[in-house]
Amino acid sequence: MIQPADWEKVEELFHEAIDLPVHQREALLASTSAAVRAELESLLKADEKAFFAEPPVHLAADLLERQPGALAAGQRIGKYEIESLITVGGMGEVYLARDPSGGPIALKILRRHLVASPQAVDRFETEARAASALHHPNIVTVCESGESAAGLFIAMEWIDGPTFRELIDAGAVDTAQAIDWGGQAAGAVAAAHAAGILHRDIKPANIILGKDGVLKILDFGLARLAGPVRLEVNSSGASGTISGTLSGTLLYMSPELFRGELASTASDVYSLGTLLYELWAGRHPFAAETPLAVFEAIECRVVAAPSTLRAGIPAEIDGLILRMLDRDPGVRPSASKVCEVFSRFSAKP
Amino acid sequence: MNPQGEVTSLLAAWGKGDQNALNELMPLVYKELHRIARRAWVGQDQGNTLQPTALLNEAYLKLAGAENASYENRCHFFAVACTAMRQILVNHAKSRLAGKRGSGQVKLSIDDVQLAVHQEAAQVVALHEALERLEAVDSRKSRVIEMRYFGGLSIEETAEALGISVITVNRDWRLARTWLMREINGEES
Repeated sequence: MIQPADWEKVEELFHEAIDLPVHQREALLASTSAAVRAELESLLKADEKAFFAEPPVHLAADLLERQPGALAAGQRIGKYEIESLITVGGMGEVYLARDPSGGPIALKILRRHLVASPQAVDRFETEARAASALHHPNIVTVCESGESAAGLFIAMEWIDGPTFRELIDAGAVDTAQAIDWGGQAAGAVAAAHAAGILHRDIKPANIILGKDGVLKILDFGLARLAGPVRLEVNSSGASGTISGTLSGTLLYMSPELFRGELASTASDVYSLGTLLYELWAGRHPFAAETPLAVFEAIECRVVAAPSTLRAGIPAEIDGLILRMLDRDPGVRPSASKVCEVFSRFSAKP
Repeated sequence: MNPQGEVTSLLAAWGKGDQNALNELMPLVYKELHRIARRAWVGQDQGNTLQPTALLNEAYLKLAGAENASYENRCHFFAVACTAMRQILVNHAKSRLAGKRGSGQVKLSIDDVQLAVHQEAAQVVALHEALERLEAVDSRKSRVIEMRYFGGLSIEETAEALGISVITVNRDWRLARTWLMREINGEES
């Protein structure tokens, strides 16, 4: 390290030299000791302008709140004990936790900073209410919802298995399997509709296949009995948001929602149809290069029948999926109709 | 003694050179800054931007109380608060970086936003480490950086808080930035 006496000299000469044109610095440097000269030369080469422009306070706030896995293993939320972080979603975190008897529980926690927003609380409570009002083998069971020091929480049955996103990405699914899954998913949606509840956010990431082969629909976060759905575009203005949202939710959103119309049971049927198409055909019906092209595809693209992309699809199911994707909500079949068709095929030997 | 009185007397004791007072003060300041930063973050969604000095001022008024907000106390407070801010930022940046390495089981999607935050966190940690080295060479200059960069204080506020002239702060700020950039980016030879 540089000696204190040398450092004083460096400081003095630095301020003299820094404002001189480069060719005039040499005379100044020539008169100094080797140590001072070496230090000065290296400093004069460095660029103070490269110093970070902004105080990183915004980062503090960001780090305080967005840091994934805010809860440590062993921490208690109500009567549950946190085991590990499973995923971080737009609104909250999902943890694997243990109930008092040691059984696994999925614990969804609404992050505290979002609790300050009444909409977030409202939506979280809607999810808890909607899901606990529904009792169906293919809809995830809510055990309890409440509030703890860490925030609002929903305790749900733990389902160990892949999401439909992972199943679809893993590649072709055989026909019997796809018929079985289609029937289960449509049955769950039909049950919700019979209870007067819309899901509004059906997508592959929201369906999990349990080890026992029973499929469960999660995340009734946008569910509501009635009222307009709002397209929530993240306003952070940061890049990456649009495509991130598109790959998540918008790709499964019906054209009437893009037009600002009210969601209906037919909107859920459309989302389910998109997902089933992807499952059967191996690709998304409205896949496109850019977000704008996806919007255009949802509005205008003539969708090829799944049977043109894959052999062995029963004609009735081929036509059913296309009708689920019809731009006119009135033409789409009901979820219970979809369930009935799939059940008929799965019952066949 | 009420909490505000406690903060004021701790500030005064520290001003007289009592290092224990600083040790007691720091957790209070740290906690308050945390709370305000959290609330300010929520406010950002409504279009408010985070102003570091506003944040420190608010923490000060809350902790010391408006009636005790003397010029001298405020200078002392800013000096403590900037160190607390540095601690908060560096701790969070470090945990952010550690979190990303995480266990292989948890698959967290890293989008552009997260990536930018991650890079910034790495910068903050690199700066903090270089600043520790600068401290050994010239501690006043490391304090100037701490206040300007981590605390967001202006040149004038920094001069007040450290009890030095504006000209000295300007010179320290310039040399310290150059020194730190050389440390972080390495010498190009």
